[in-house]
Amino acid sequence: MPTELPYAADAEMSLDYDELEVLRLQYQKELAQDHVTTQTKFNFAWGLIKSPKHEHQVEGVRILQELYRAEPARRRECLYYLALGYFKMGNFEEAKRFNALLLEKEPTNLQAQSLAQLVERGAARDGYIGMALVGGVAALGTLVLAGLIRRARK
Amino acid sequence: MSPATTSTQPVNVKLLLIGNSSVGKSSLLLRFSDEQWLPEDESSATIGVDFRVHKMDVKGKKVKLSIWDTAGQERFRTITSSYYRGAQGIILVYDVANRESFEALPRWYSELETYVSSSVVKILVGNKVDKEFSRQVPTAEAEKFAARMSSLFVETSAKTSVGVKEAFTEVVEQIMDTPELWENTSARGQGTAHGNGGVPGGVQVVGLMDEQKPGEGCAC
Repeated sequence: MPTELPYAADAEMSLDYDELEVLRLQYQKELAQDHVTTQTKFNFAWGLIKSPKHEHQVEGVRILQELYRAEPARRRECLYYLALGYFKMGNFEEAKRFNALLLEKEPTNLQAQSLAQLVERGAARDGYIGMALVGGVAALGTLVLAGLIRRARK
Repeated sequence: MSPATTSTQPVNVKLLLIGNSSVGKSSLLLRFSDEQWLPEDESSATIGVDFRVHKMDVKGKKVKLSIWDTAGQERFRTITSSYYRGAQGIILVYDVANRESFEALPRWYSELETYVSSSVVKILVGNKVDKEFSRQVPTAEAEKFAARMSSLFVETSAKTSVGVKEAFTEVVEQIMDTPELWENTSARGQGTAHGNGGVPGGVQVVGLMDEQKPGEGCAC
């Protein structure tokens, strides 16, 4: 029986407070010494992306963008976690953009394929909500208009 | 009377795939869960961790497997170690045609000692037996090693699917034979406390961070 798709392991589970703190302390320690290793930076950003807190996700995305620019060798994981971060923040457009860059390089990457489906699904849901809102406003408008017309006829 | 006497709630089991990069962890999972195989030039190294859910019946019980497929690359080491928590079964994979991946096993076992309790079920899997012509690890030797590490043992090929189903089934069967591994977790659905002295998971990350290589000189 095939797995229920799509999935993204890292989108669902966040770290414990203590775990994230360990990664943060390491990052801050190295920052204070003016030399942050790529690994420390990546680990911390990953921990932030996994967090359910919006401000963590924003910080994680910021760090990953720095890494992406500075470390060509780390681009694939940066792209993936950038996409995941934006996805969690509900920014499906950016999520799609970064994931597409990864898929361009690795068309058969199953993790990226799965994330693409999650992003599509999220965007579609947003779309439905948007349509429902527009629909609702339109319906309300019709009612108001009908009321006005009726009043005008009196 | 009715078959509904056995609880309809499936038992949740968490398995973790570990081992050096390129030994075929993701391929084993893909073969097992989707009956698919990707040739080497089309498969990509796992980023961080991947995850699949698979349902099966074992010994008359419904089992919902969550299989966590960790990246073998050194640079994901710290983050993948956080996934050991709550695992009831560990699948250690090496490549029979790559001696180095076999030699690396003691390091993987010592990581297990740090992160999981001793009752957790372990299976050693020698993958890629389709490359028999370039085998570098004799079956007997690996079998003996597995016994010494109190692990189950099987040789597989994700490519031809030899042994793959057996590998997963054997772990799950042994887990089902060890009720202390799942009785509490199925009731709570969470499975955090796993006996490793009351320290909540987190602090574990430290150990690995300390082991980290000092970043091979300058970043110039």
